Amino acid sequence: MGLGKTLTIKGLSLLFVLFCVLFLTVIIIGATGVSDRILSAILSDRVRAFRQEMATKITDPEKLNEAVEEYRRAQISSLGLDKPWYIRMPSMVWRIITLDLGNARTVISFSGSNKIADIILERMPNTVFLMVTVLIVNFLLSLAIGVKVATKPGSFLDRFVSLYSAVSYALPTWWLAMILILVFAFYIRIFPFGGMFSTPPPTDPFWRCLDLAWHLCLPVTTLVIALSGSWIYITRSIVITVAQEDFVTAARAKGLPEKLVLWRYIVRVAAPPILTNLILGLAFYLTGAILTETVFSWPGIGLLYFNAIMSVDEALILALTYVFTLIYVIARFVLEVLYVIVDPRVRYK
Amino acid sequence: MSSYLKESWAEFWAGGISKLGVIFLLTVVVISIYTLLNFPLDYGTRYWNNPKYWADNPKASMPVWVNLFTAQKFLNHFSMSTRIPSKAFLSGGHYLKFYNVSYELTVNQFPTFITIKLEDVVYYRKAPSVKVIVQRPDGRVMELYTLIVESPVPGEKPPYVRYSDEPKKIILSGNTYVAMVLSKFLAREYKISVAPSDIMDVGYEAVIFGYPGDDGKFKPLKGIYNLSVVLYAKDGKDKIGRVTFVVGGQVYGLMGTDTLGRDLAQGLLFGFPVALLIGFTTSFLTTLIGASLGIVGGYMGGKIDDLIQRVSDVVNNLPQLPLLIFLTFIFGGKLWIIVAVLIAFGWPNLVIVVRSMILQIKSSPFVEAAVSIGASKWRIMARHIFPQVAPYILSQMIFYTPSAILSEAALSFLGLGDPSIPTWGQILEYGFDNGAVYLGYWWWILPPGLLIVFSAVTFVLIALGLEPVVNPRLRRWR
Amino acid sequence: MSFLEAENLILYYKTLRGPVRAVDNVGFTLNRGETLGLVGESGCGKSSTAIALMRLLPRNVERFEGKVILDGLNLMDLSDEEFRGKVRWKRISMVFQGAMNSLNPVLRVGFQVAEPLMIHKGMKKREAMKRAEDLFKMVGLPPDFAYRYPHELSGGMKQRVVIAMALVLNPEIVILDEPTSALDVSIQAQIMNLLKKLKKKLNISMIFITHDIALASDICDRIGVMYAGQIVELGSSEDVLLNPKHPYTQKLIASVPLLRGDRVPEFIPGAPPDLVNPPAGCRFRPRCSHAFGKCGLEPPFIELEEGRFVKCWLYGGED
Repeated sequence: MGLGKTLTIKGLSLLFVLFCVLFLTVIIIGATGVSDRILSAILSDRVRAFRQEMATKITDPEKLNEAVEEYRRAQISSLGLDKPWYIRMPSMVWRIITLDLGNARTVISFSGSNKIADIILERMPNTVFLMVTVLIVNFLLSLAIGVKVATKPGSFLDRFVSLYSAVSYALPTWWLAMILILVFAFYIRIFPFGGMFSTPPPTDPFWRCLDLAWHLCLPVTTLVIALSGSWIYITRSIVITVAQEDFVTAARAKGLPEKLVLWRYIVRVAAPPILTNLILGLAFYLTGAILTETVFSWPGIGLLYFNAIMSVDEALILALTYVFTLIYVIARFVLEVLYVIVDPRVRYK
Repeated sequence: MSSYLKESWAEFWAGGISKLGVIFLLTVVVISIYTLLNFPLDYGTRYWNNPKYWADNPKASMPVWVNLFTAQKFLNHFSMSTRIPSKAFLSGGHYLKFYNVSYELTVNQFPTFITIKLEDVVYYRKAPSVKVIVQRPDGRVMELYTLIVESPVPGEKPPYVRYSDEPKKIILSGNTYVAMVLSKFLAREYKISVAPSDIMDVGYEAVIFGYPGDDGKFKPLKGIYNLSVVLYAKDGKDKIGRVTFVVGGQVYGLMGTDTLGRDLAQGLLFGFPVALLIGFTTSFLTTLIGASLGIVGGYMGGKIDDLIQRVSDVVNNLPQLPLLIFLTFIFGGKLWIIVAVLIAFGWPNLVIVVRSMILQIKSSPFVEAAVSIGASKWRIMARHIFPQVAPYILSQMIFYTPSAILSEAALSFLGLGDPSIPTWGQILEYGFDNGAVYLGYWWWILPPGLLIVFSAVTFVLIALGLEPVVNPRLRRWR
Repeated sequence: MSFLEAENLILYYKTLRGPVRAVDNVGFTLNRGETLGLVGESGCGKSSTAIALMRLLPRNVERFEGKVILDGLNLMDLSDEEFRGKVRWKRISMVFQGAMNSLNPVLRVGFQVAEPLMIHKGMKKREAMKRAEDLFKMVGLPPDFAYRYPHELSGGMKQRVVIAMALVLNPEIVILDEPTSALDVSIQAQIMNLLKKLKKKLNISMIFITHDIALASDICDRIGVMYAGQIVELGSSEDVLLNPKHPYTQKLIASVPLLRGDRVPEFIPGAPPDLVNPPAGCRFRPRCSHAFGKCGLEPPFIELEEGRFVKCWLYGGED
């Protein structure tokens, strides 16, 4: 019972955050005039297209201009450009919520549409796939290494791990990616330079999977090296702290075997704070996605974001900022669910 | 109190990690001071982003010390000026002044280009002419180029000064007149005929600095060359202010160059103080705001606390990079905006932890005692609560510094940085955009990243060293 | 022969300043069904003695030796694994100081009580939980509390749980380290009553560690007084309390306030010695009003009569 209620409350507060972000974003866009720019761009596109179309039908230049002018006026009122931005705001917010994100100016999806929703939807799985793989590897690594090292603080492995964590925290993901490409793709030539599949991709499903795995190696290695350091260190610190608690001594006093004490009394109790730190570090995963995909040309939404920035495609940038926030909020919610399941102390009565 | 400090210092200094961190930090600070003393503050806009300043450098060339490790040696870049003629005499009605430098070709490579720059040509009567002459180690002489200085303009009075604001650049490679000279040279000296239009295929430098081998290919002629510019003047006072000879090499400088010819060593040096500045400012302000709000919220409780908590909750739930990108994109990539945004995202983290520490301390007996004596809220916060959380706050501040450095580097890499200041992230951005990764320009890619890592690791090491002081449970002995 | 005999027990810890001599040559005996109290100030080594008996050594141990003979078996001869399998909790169990922290916060309390049954006796969970519920009843808690989490119980309830936990394998000896110091007085009384009831009903031997003499007098048959890592007096409760021999014991008893009467409680000047560098000779000498020349040498543990010991030159002993 406490579980359900807690989760509902958490879910609502995260939704609240999402709305805040949305409103803030829209307000910023409106107040700084960016939305005016976007709509003006859309307006001139439409007017131009209309003019071209009409030019084939109406030959009299004066009549043509008249018709275009009329069309333009109609468009201005329908786009809401004649009103100040805060009147437009609610409809914009609604459009974003319902994921009617408009069209991208500079990018088209693989299937040829330039609706933003399509573009995002077909690239999202690539990013999710990459990040989930990294998450799983990181989780296993931190459990294995972090716990092992915590049982022998001060040992050689422990100090090595501390140094590794320090270095990996300081390592810029994107630079590491470049180095790995330089070494493994340029010099040693065993991994590809980037991308998700070879061109052309193999048709046989087995070879396709293998091709994917081959392309996955460098990006995953980059992200794991860059992100596992802090995980492992946090796991180690928390486990060491928990291992000094009285109930651990009590568990040993009860004659429980050391392995059981380790997992049920130390790791299980350390899990909530480790999860908390994970939640806090989740932002780094998003950051890592954007930067790594850029360097590896991995066709996910991170690379999309980078391209949108480079080509100043405002509508796309706005839409992607929102999508990233959405993903972040969802991921946090999932983690908070896990947290509440794992730690009975935070449940509401 | 002082024994606590002494003990803390002992604990801190005990680990090798801390010692390493402090050594690194000192290195960074010393280099930063050196840079600030030796470079102007507007270095970015005045020099770094000014392509003309780098025009004479070889493009995308490796550092000089590469030669220590390779069997096949690379050619050093050469640039030398002279202001004083080595000899001057009267001959055939002209005053001849010889400006020359001596150039030694020591490796088996051809120079990549050769240019001559003339500055501040002064004449009193008739416009002089200038000849470029190369004397090779094998004794052969080439008269490569003749330039006639611009005559006086009507209304102009002597002394006539030319090429003062804008030096005159003579580029030999690709010049048709030079091609003819070289073609004749080859026919006369080696009895081989190469048409002037084909000189480009053979390579101007190959002809000037080489000789045809038995297999028909040109080989570099090693030895000492005498490069001279001869001024044929009508007045004995005529002179050239400065003559600069640039013979392009394949390696240059301490850290090589990028595709614009920029000396990477300078750009990298400038990155030190910038990194320190960004790191410290951001982390200091973030910590200040976060800790203050945490203390105030934790101690005051009630509505203030609630408000602070709500706000930090919302901010904490925001994904940093996408919003950072978004805001930088809207407001422009100025350095202070980046710092401001980083601070805006960073403070909630500290608030949460500090607040929970405060809550524990608040209910401790000595705080109660202070309250019962009648101490004011602010006094209690400052005198009793703050010293308890100070070590943790300090360690957090140090730990946050590398994060700020890394964030700025990431933003620069994405092209959102401040273009007027060279930073390591920017250097890497330029490299990546120009395909340095795929072309194997390791000297461009490795050092900036290593420096980012180095400066970030410095702070992380210190923060790690501080951890046992702050969290007694992590100390060596219980 | 006694049921439990400790002889020349030594436990030193490693610290940055040097070895801390927490348990410095401690010896005592315990009979079946008897309750021995270990009394002394904070830092005198009583908890460390318990740790030594249970062999729950921390990482920084400098020296650990001596003899602990339980029913003829020298426990110090056993390997760690043997000790864990045969002795720990099965024959000797412990109630820790600060029950609040002895319980794992993420596991249900009944489960924690039932755990040793599942591990040592291979019981199935359902059966073990049933046993746990029975134990809960025995210590005065409603059986359905077994399904609660520690943060859902009060201090006194948690203490009862911990006691139940200690009894689950029917051990022969239970060590209780300050079982009531974290509780308020009324709860304290309840717990003491529970302990007395259990003592009578189960006839277990107990070692009761406390700094509160009054408490010790309530439940202990015999009392050992500890000071600076050593036992300075040992005997039946009555004897030690009504007829204290060691100057420290005398001062200790004189410092207990009485409910009736006008006697002003005394205090002992000075502070306990630093256990890294204890003074040579008798450790109480700097604070003892009866000190004389011989006290510069460490006094032997003198047996005044059967079961009655004092570590003081005032009562004889050879050089």
